[in-house]
Amino acid sequence: MDTLGLLLQGFEVALTPTNLFWALVGSTLGTAIGILPGIGPALTIALLLPVTVSVGPVSAFIMFAGVLYGAMYGGSTTSILINTPGEAGSMMTALEGNKMARSGRGAAALATAAIGSFVAGTLATLALTFAAPYIAELAFYFKPADYFALTIMAFTSVAVVMGSSRVRGFISLFIGLGFGVMGIDNMTGQPRMTFGFADLLDGMELTVVLVSLFAVGEIIYVASRYKNQKDDIVSVKGGMWMSKSDWKRSFMPWIRGTAIGFPMGALPGGGSEIPTMLSYTLEKNLTKHKDEFGKGAIEGVAGPEAANNAAAAGVLVPLLTLGLPTSATAAILLAAFQNFGLQPGPFLFTSNPELIWGLIASLYIGNAMLLVLNLPLIGIWVKLLLIPKPQLYAGILIFAMIGIWGVSGSVFDLACMALVGVMGYVMRVYDFPIPPLLIGLILGPMTENQLRTALAAGQGNPAVLVESPMSIVFLTVSFLFLFVPFLIKHLRAVA
Amino acid sequence: MSNKTQAPVNTTSQSPVKPWWLGIVVVLMGVVCLYSASELDNTARYSAIGPGMFVTAIGIGLVLLGLLLLIQIARGEKFEPQDTENAEGSTPMDKRAFFIALAAAFVPVFIIELLGLPVTAMVSFTLVTMAFGSKKIVLNLIIGFILGSASWYLFSLLGLQLGEFIPLLGV
Repeated sequence: MDTLGLLLQGFEVALTPTNLFWALVGSTLGTAIGILPGIGPALTIALLLPVTVSVGPVSAFIMFAGVLYGAMYGGSTTSILINTPGEAGSMMTALEGNKMARSGRGAAALATAAIGSFVAGTLATLALTFAAPYIAELAFYFKPADYFALTIMAFTSVAVVMGSSRVRGFISLFIGLGFGVMGIDNMTGQPRMTFGFADLLDGMELTVVLVSLFAVGEIIYVASRYKNQKDDIVSVKGGMWMSKSDWKRSFMPWIRGTAIGFPMGALPGGGSEIPTMLSYTLEKNLTKHKDEFGKGAIEGVAGPEAANNAAAAGVLVPLLTLGLPTSATAAILLAAFQNFGLQPGPFLFTSNPELIWGLIASLYIGNAMLLVLNLPLIGIWVKLLLIPKPQLYAGILIFAMIGIWGVSGSVFDLACMALVGVMGYVMRVYDFPIPPLLIGLILGPMTENQLRTALAAGQGNPAVLVESPMSIVFLTVSFLFLFVPFLIKHLRAVA
Repeated sequence: MSNKTQAPVNTTSQSPVKPWWLGIVVVLMGVVCLYSASELDNTARYSAIGPGMFVTAIGIGLVLLGLLLLIQIARGEKFEPQDTENAEGSTPMDKRAFFIALAAAFVPVFIIELLGLPVTAMVSFTLVTMAFGSKKIVLNLIIGFILGSASWYLFSLLGLQLGEFIPLLGV
């Protein structure tokens, strides 16, 4: 069946009342957590994971997709109205968006962000729809050595791109790899690095590590450096809609932002920081209103917002087609697939088309829903910011506790939560990036599997790892990634 | 591999003390990996690709990275605490708040089996609000207990195994 037919089938799945309901739940939750500080999409999905077991995979992933996209919308709202970019991808939006809001053009800034996100999300989902099956098909030709090289590429890119220091990025990655080997070795049945704890025989759960690093580490860190100041929420004035010239000035940045964001999101390690920075720099150079940049130029909101959303959709390409997560959120989505006994990758397209295409169709629906949820209802969402910070962070800890206790009922896991939480605190104080650790933890076992399979086939000769052109390309690119920091430094200097 | 990726920030570094312990901890983690790899039975299989190979590689990596970090620290590498929402890296650390928040994270380990989730949630909730400087302790205890009980009820309905309401009392 061709892509279009499969997509139509996907819509049939996504448009059932139950799945529409889950898409709505996901979009609403996503927007809320995007606006609230201290809780992001990866943490939310990790906490939702245990309660989705009874829901079934299709509905669960439709909800997760809503959370993923919704968090992007919510993040831009806080960037514009209170100048607190929750994540790296919204930093550029805050730059111009908050200035716009301060000069009474908040409504236009929110509108161009929301519509830009919608346009980018839809275009990127279209690209995903038509590119994914081809990439998945390509992946059928991958041998273990190629997969090994591919994961190495993911590792170096993530370790290099996320964070400010390569050494610390790689340390984070290797700690994750170390967590990943804990438990019974699935090739020989030997327990590894369990230190005599029976609780570790099953290995370290990604959810436990993720919840501890993101929730517990964040709470301790923010508490120790809390700035007790009232959020300066700029009230939205100036009508709900954009003027004709706003539309004209936003349109091309949306398209260009999408064109930058989608491929970079699809590349391992592309993340959302670089594409938004690139988009901002590009718009700054192309605009006819150079004098407005730095004072609230609409192009500087439209472009990066589109790039941010397109990158979020791009991340799904390697995840769905190759089973390769390239961000913290993608890592937890991969864990979610494994939770349901599914392995993302080329085989999922043939073995479970209902799930894949239902998920892709729900991305279109979720995007439309989010536009409706966000544009007219913005005033209600902003009210979420009125929750006092002490109670908000305390509440997040309760949910983290339930997420861990409710799954395992094990005091050992709660002790892990506290200890890994302390590690999360140290990582924040000394500026170690957290995503490489999660990617190492979830991809490590797969890397090891492919490596040992490849070596076994080559009777232990490491030359098999560089036999195919594909693996040579991947390994070369991995090496080249080590030099990306110079590029970023250059971009930062320009922006 | 020299490191020149730090953003050129001119703020004074957080503490004049060099954090040698960071590098040492990383090296030690590597040593732990190497030690446990050496304990694994690698015989009777392709000697190179047994269960210990990957662990050994991780151990070597961590030791080397720890040494690199130590060299960076010796050269005066600056560690800028991350900025997040509601916290700025440049703010000095509030030790009292830190230890209260830490207690909130560790408390469940010791009391959840006896007192159950709702009471544990109440205690941890109140500790975090105290760490954030809230003075309304009674109000926070009440909110914490209501939130804990409501989530206990709701998530139990959704199929999570959260234990008895207050195990010590057998209810």
